[in-house]
Amino acid sequence: MKIPRLTTLASLAVLVVLALFPVIGIPLSWLNYLFTFFICLALANMWNLLAGYTGLICLCPHAFVGLAGYTLAIGSWVGVPFQAGLIAGAAVAALFALLISFPVFRMRGIYFAIGTLILPEALKAWFNYWRPVGNVYQGMGAGYSVTGVEGVTLGDTFWLGLAIAAASIFLVHIILRARLGLGLTAIRDNENTAASAGVNVFRLKLYSFLIAAFIMGIAGAAYYIYSPRINPVGGFNISWLLLPLMATVIGGEGLEEGPIIGAAIVTFLRFLLADYGAWSLFIQGIILLVVVVVMPQGIAGLLRQVGAYRFPLRLFQAVEGRIHENVK
Amino acid sequence: MEDFLIELAPPLIRGILLGGLYVVIALGLSLVFGVMKLINVAHGDLVILGSYFAYAAMGWLGIDPFLSLVVGVPLFFAFGFFVQKFIINRTFRISLDAALIACFGISVVVQSLCQVIWTPFSRSLTTPYQLRSFAVGELTISVRYLLDFIGGLAVMIALREFLRRTYLGKAISAASQNEPVAERMGINPNRVYSFAFAIAMACAAVAGVLQGLTFYFSPVSGPPFLIISFGVIIIGGLGSMAGTFIGGMIFGLTQTLGAHLSGGSMMVQMLAPYLLVFVVLSVRPQGIFGR
Repeated sequence: MKIPRLTTLASLAVLVVLALFPVIGIPLSWLNYLFTFFICLALANMWNLLAGYTGLICLCPHAFVGLAGYTLAIGSWVGVPFQAGLIAGAAVAALFALLISFPVFRMRGIYFAIGTLILPEALKAWFNYWRPVGNVYQGMGAGYSVTGVEGVTLGDTFWLGLAIAAASIFLVHIILRARLGLGLTAIRDNENTAASAGVNVFRLKLYSFLIAAFIMGIAGAAYYIYSPRINPVGGFNISWLLLPLMATVIGGEGLEEGPIIGAAIVTFLRFLLADYGAWSLFIQGIILLVVVVVMPQGIAGLLRQVGAYRFPLRLFQAVEGRIHENVK
Repeated sequence: MEDFLIELAPPLIRGILLGGLYVVIALGLSLVFGVMKLINVAHGDLVILGSYFAYAAMGWLGIDPFLSLVVGVPLFFAFGFFVQKFIINRTFRISLDAALIACFGISVVVQSLCQVIWTPFSRSLTTPYQLRSFAVGELTISVRYLLDFIGGLAVMIALREFLRRTYLGKAISAASQNEPVAERMGINPNRVYSFAFAIAMACAAVAGVLQGLTFYFSPVSGPPFLIISFGVIIIGGLGSMAGTFIGGMIFGLTQTLGAHLSGGSMMVQMLAPYLLVFVVLSVRPQGIFGR
């Protein structure tokens, strides 16, 4: 019999404990914090997949989030249940990614970054003057409320968020250990060399872009089930870019555990500074600058450098060894 | 047909004059882009900071926004010099992406600082001459648009003479044309970067005043200016002053003509420049006159 690795078992245990939280009567504010953390984590993981592993500095997560949220909201107005709206929102985000992939992948480096930055601004302008359904009190600048989610409890959205965050971690884990991940890191390191070594640059970039758009879209739609009101300024708000970018850079870009550490810090800061309004963003921006200047590898990079993982890993190995001996 | 052409004249004039504003904003961005190949994502927010500086000077001292530039330009110059020296030069050594993220951090800090100090409400630089207009033949020309054009022309000529005649200007041109060779000729790239960024900030201070006279502004109105000025650089090409000038005019015209031809639709006025930048970028990613 193959004994599962202890690290796998430990992560499964964390997942089960987290999933039990709503049942065992954890305070509601904790569920709120954790839900925000999950959404931030899913976004950060996908941003890390793009920026850290594919080398695409993508400045348009707010386009995916806003589109998915709007699909959910408008869908709920024409009678689509929110479960279907959630998937449809993510699908629309991925479809949008597919449509823009042909023009934006022609751009490289800094041009790609600016090219993607235009899209959410353009979408915001479009949704500011568009009213597909509803009367004068909805649509355009006022936005829509998501209907039909009155029966959804905080526990349900918590599980949804947990599932999305866990899926995003699992997905990145799998991708990195598959051919796709190898190709992506090759593209990140040197696009021309990767192409001449037989990597289909366009297709692999497209895959990672589509996956990221889908997960970011579903995370955004989940947020709008939790907080059922969307308007152009909120849906296409630059903070949807800021969250994953800061979480990834502070935690450690291109490292698997980076977004987890970063998302925890960013969410913590957000609630700690919630009463200070604009000062909160100011302090987050300063932290981002300090991290970029002082430790470009992020906190996870620093931890790896000082060998902070060595002791727990050795402990795990020792325990695993014991178990193997006993089983024999 | 004749009526159509006559009606077309005011937006045409307005677009060309408005282009001057975009030229000033784009020149600052272009200078940094030229030497470092880095788009300063915070440029739009720094322009808005310039507007707020003039607004504050008007509020405290009651002076004309153009007079406030006497203090504003040196202040912004020094600020830019130190930002480049202590933040961007350090991250630039790591990688271009790190520098881009640092610029993004500066954008967040500037935006939230404006929000803390001046609240999120829309402001404008209200002056007695701002809303005046005068007639030339059958056309009426607004003073604020004319000021944009004159400002654009003045900054462009000043910058061009600076780049051609002074040692520092020549060093900046050399570094933007071929950096390794420039370095071998004894030009210190980090110093050139710092001065380029400082001059870009001084341009942002001037652009801020012109922008504040022309439009309403709030702490979040920076990014559209970043995108438009990036478009101006792409269309106009790097290092070509005339190209930048034409690029600015094209964007001014896109906005005013787009609004006019669609019957004053705000959606078209907002969307047209974005679409233009995106289409140009996707057709020729390295710019029309790109090297």
